Amino acid sequence: MEKSAIGKSVRRTEDFRFLTGQGKYIDDIRLENMAYAVVLRSSHAHATITAIDTAEAEAMEGVSLIVTAQHWMAEGYGTIPSKSATRNSIDGTPFREPPRHCLAIDRVRYVGEPVALVVAETLSAARQAMEMISVDYEPLDPVTDPVKALEHGAPQIWQDIPGNLCLDFELGDRDGTEKAFANADHVVSLDLVNNRVTAVPIEPRGAIADYDPETDRFVLYNATQNVHANRDTFAEKVLHIPVEKLHHIAPDVGGGFGAKNGAYPEPPLILHAARKLGRPVKWINDRAESFLSDTHGRAQSSRVKLALDKDGTFRALRVETIGDLGAFCATVGPFTCTGGSARTQGGPYAFPAMYYTSRAAFTNTAPTDPYRGAGRPEATYQVERIIEYAATTLGFDPIELRRKNLMSEKMLPLKTCMGLDIDCGNFPAVFEQTLELTDREGYAARVNASTAAGKRRGFAIAPYLECTGGAPREYAGVRFHADGSVHLAVGSQSTGMGHETALPQILAAQLGISQDRVQYIQADTEATPHGGGHGGSRGLELGGNAVGQSAGMVVDKAKAFAAAHLETEIDDLSFEDGLFRAQSTNRSMSMDEVISASFADDLPAGFEPGFLDTGSSFERGIISIPNGCHAAEVEVDPQTGDVRIDGYWVVDDFGTIINPMLADGQVMGGIVQGIGQALTENITYDNDSGQLLSGSLVDYALPRADMIPRMVIGYYEDAPTKKNPLGVKGAGEAGCVGAPPTIINAILDALRPDGVNHIEMPATPHRIWQQLRHAKSAA
Amino acid sequence: MYEFDYHKPVDVAGALETSGGSDDGLFLAGGQTIITVMKQRLAMPSDVIDLNAIDDLCGIRVKEDVISIGAMCRHADVASHSDVRRLIPGLADLAGKIGDPHVRNRGTLGGSIANNDPAADYPAAVVALGATVHTNLRDIAAGDFFTDLFETALKDSELIIRVTFPVPEKSAYEKILNPASRFAMVGVFVSQSVAGVRVAVTGAGPCVFQLPEMEDALMRSFSASALEKISINPGGLNSDLHGSAEYRAHLIGVAARRAVTNAC
Amino acid sequence: MPVVSLTVNNKPVSKDVAPNTLLVQFLRDELGLTGTHVGCDTSQCGACVIHLDGAPVKSCTLLAIQADQCAVTTIEGLAPEGGGLHPMQQAFREHHGLQCGFCTPGMVMTAVALARTTPHLAEADIRHGLEGNLCRCTGYQNIVDAVLAGSQAMRETK
Repeated sequence: MEKSAIGKSVRRTEDFRFLTGQGKYIDDIRLENMAYAVVLRSSHAHATITAIDTAEAEAMEGVSLIVTAQHWMAEGYGTIPSKSATRNSIDGTPFREPPRHCLAIDRVRYVGEPVALVVAETLSAARQAMEMISVDYEPLDPVTDPVKALEHGAPQIWQDIPGNLCLDFELGDRDGTEKAFANADHVVSLDLVNNRVTAVPIEPRGAIADYDPETDRFVLYNATQNVHANRDTFAEKVLHIPVEKLHHIAPDVGGGFGAKNGAYPEPPLILHAARKLGRPVKWINDRAESFLSDTHGRAQSSRVKLALDKDGTFRALRVETIGDLGAFCATVGPFTCTGGSARTQGGPYAFPAMYYTSRAAFTNTAPTDPYRGAGRPEATYQVERIIEYAATTLGFDPIELRRKNLMSEKMLPLKTCMGLDIDCGNFPAVFEQTLELTDREGYAARVNASTAAGKRRGFAIAPYLECTGGAPREYAGVRFHADGSVHLAVGSQSTGMGHETALPQILAAQLGISQDRVQYIQADTEATPHGGGHGGSRGLELGGNAVGQSAGMVVDKAKAFAAAHLETEIDDLSFEDGLFRAQSTNRSMSMDEVISASFADDLPAGFEPGFLDTGSSFERGIISIPNGCHAAEVEVDPQTGDVRIDGYWVVDDFGTIINPMLADGQVMGGIVQGIGQALTENITYDNDSGQLLSGSLVDYALPRADMIPRMVIGYYEDAPTKKNPLGVKGAGEAGCVGAPPTIINAILDALRPDGVNHIEMPATPHRIWQQLRHAKSAA
Repeated sequence: MYEFDYHKPVDVAGALETSGGSDDGLFLAGGQTIITVMKQRLAMPSDVIDLNAIDDLCGIRVKEDVISIGAMCRHADVASHSDVRRLIPGLADLAGKIGDPHVRNRGTLGGSIANNDPAADYPAAVVALGATVHTNLRDIAAGDFFTDLFETALKDSELIIRVTFPVPEKSAYEKILNPASRFAMVGVFVSQSVAGVRVAVTGAGPCVFQLPEMEDALMRSFSASALEKISINPGGLNSDLHGSAEYRAHLIGVAARRAVTNAC
Repeated sequence: MPVVSLTVNNKPVSKDVAPNTLLVQFLRDELGLTGTHVGCDTSQCGACVIHLDGAPVKSCTLLAIQADQCAVTTIEGLAPEGGGLHPMQQAFREHHGLQCGFCTPGMVMTAVALARTTPHLAEADIRHGLEGNLCRCTGYQNIVDAVLAGSQAMRETK
């Protein structure tokens, strides 16, 4: 079999099972004697629960168990903590964290909040019984808008949290920024909303809990993106059991995008039920439940200000944000609109001063947590929208204004006002490379053709700055087996990104063995001592480097063995393409041979059976800085407001590309999610009742194949990072960081002749038509 | 889904007999709407009477200048039928735009019009083409068939057998999509024949309606420019997440003009 | 309880089935064919698409009893007897037309039907033909490329 190499588009191992219907997702797992659970969810956005009557439900055929808050609290279970990396307000006081129990205690605070668990022999019996539970609610006024939630007189959501304020935050150079604005030739200001969206992985969330009374141990199969951290939360914090008692496994997971990262209330509920009943209990959301209960993303309102010189040089950026947390602090919760949105402020532009402040508010809506990009899409949207606005209102060419202000290669390395370490990158080169893809020469003719057909054509280019995140430590274990297989166990997790191929690709390339021998194991708390799961585009940066590190250690051990076998010194050996060669005698031994020999009965002195098996932890030093540039052409039909994206180009700097095909896939998937946010997706709550209006795919519009143009993707590979041995910069989230402002600015470019100078996301046909009408009547 | 008794009669008489004998029976045609509703536990019929085995309800026939389409004809079959495409291209085009390919392989004409969803496509064609709905009891003119939101003139014991469409000189259907559901935000069917011009609108109001002012203008001059000055009153039109009544009123004009331009 | 008798992936099946059982539940729970997936409850996503007498339909919007006397093909029945992959499956792998794999069975079943019924598929036909299939991972471009290649391969192996 062919030996793989870094940089090759190796086809995926996991595809065989996915393409033939042999994938094993949570709903495919059947355990013997399994019972089925459903969650009774609040139908009110804000209400006190005065009574719950489960008597009729409990008497129904097939019902095994009903758990209400009373039962739950009697067990003494704990709450799910928020692990926000931003811990304190500006004045040093800790962020206000309401207790997040797994069931609503006395009060419900968002439609969809779990109120009770019903377990029965069949799913249908569980649902029938759930319908027979009667809950007495005394409605309270809800507030769904975070800006209103912080206003005086807003409904108080948490008794001990006045004004619904979780925390406030600042980062950057306040005085420098104030001064710059005071002295600037030009100041422009724009109010922007980064609309609330939801991840909609095609597989809904679900889990199966099993309990063995003899060993007093649980097994939790869970469509989660972080088995270790969530095991720790569920075991230590909620159930108050030692972590060793909970074996947490994610089977094949059908997408997540961040919404499956966090700790949710349902798994502890079914763990409790499994223990109580002594049998496995399965719960899985349907799509309507997903819309209600998956953590939502984005949901920020900002005032963005840019100070510029007469000649267009940027002087300062000032962003003030109100972030919507929903009713609770979710797992990352307050970090997204604070630290998470502050780090990449200013993008790849040279800003002498920047200052970011935000306030995180509670509302009677589903909790928010990271969704692909988690703060960086917001920061990119802010800077790119204000730059475009500055260009068009002050008479600068939007392309020139950007070009003029991009950080040059010479300026790097530098630390931005936000403390971001930008080690390398060539933002101007990436910008020009992108522009070159877009056929600017033909643009005027295309505009004329569109205009002649009664349409409006627009163009926009948006460079973006990314940074990686997620847990900074990762584990990779390599074990060799006598049957020739090599087991690679990692603590990072793929939910479609292709790690099952890319990580063995790295291992096989470094060891010089065939990739076909490598069996990949992930997402199992018993397979690795620790793991960081998914998030912050960490798959290759952490997982890949952990594999590389462990592989390097295996090579060292193998080299020692080969040296002994070849009767020479270790220094005499070269290692290339899987072959150890003694320079002195030209004798050689392949890695394959070393592996086989390691299973011999008579190993030489100093080598124990299994000596090649290696596990190591890799620590990331500093986060890496992926970056790139997006560009798009759109054609707007002013009659209907319909937008057709007629061209999409992107150049990304992800450092070393391990598998180009997989990288392309991440970029395209991210772009389309960004297009979704920009054009069609919106989580909408009714302001008066707090009911979720966009609660199904009939009302929440996901992009389909016929609205996406051919995307042209290029890579800039001349600025590899030294921040990690592989030289990789995380690629997973970049697509949806760059896309929204690119699309919106292109639409505004198209509609500027009609007098439209602002629009909020999603720029639906209805909104576009409204803006055109508004501009017409203002004229 | 709640439990029910299932029946699969082989003829219309059997279907009616079973329906008459049930507490709260419903007819199952394509199922693309009713099965979803039942899954969400919003309907609890005692009996489900599956019409998919009744040959008398199938078939597309042309006689003189009338196309007769069986109630159980699938949207995909109407869309691809050579006679329909040739004689009433607007109708074939409409059928080809319903839902998605999977929905079109199951959904039926009879099921669609009996349900009368305000955003369904077929009602616009049935009204604009001056079709007749033939049931086991009587023949109902299009203008009398669609009565209100999700309501039709059908009685409890009444089953649609077929719908006959007179062949027009020109026809077209312009649909502006709801981006999420792909139902009609606004759908306008225009038909010109010796009997005159009809313009029927779906998606915009609680029920399909005609636009007499546009019909008059088009009878004087069948051209998009004849409709330029006509504006639609948004009063009574649907307003939701996806568009206001004013927007729908505006789209009606856009869709009507495009339909007239494309009519053939 | 009525009995449903049909062929599934060319094998005869006869089982008692409660009328309120959806075809997708029957395939997954009764027959253990879990390759057909449930991704939504409003018939939008297409993860449940199978072939019913050759036509691609959403198995979440059909009662199992309605498949009586029919021939059902699921993703598990696509690959040729004796091993290997169907040309469309092969094309999806070659062109990275899947990531998490959850929408994939429905996507492939739709693609095969599309390729069989439309000679010389162009990109626009494919994008339109996939309007009943949602994917959240891939951004669709590689799926389109896979369907183009798969349909070509299907023509060549005929």
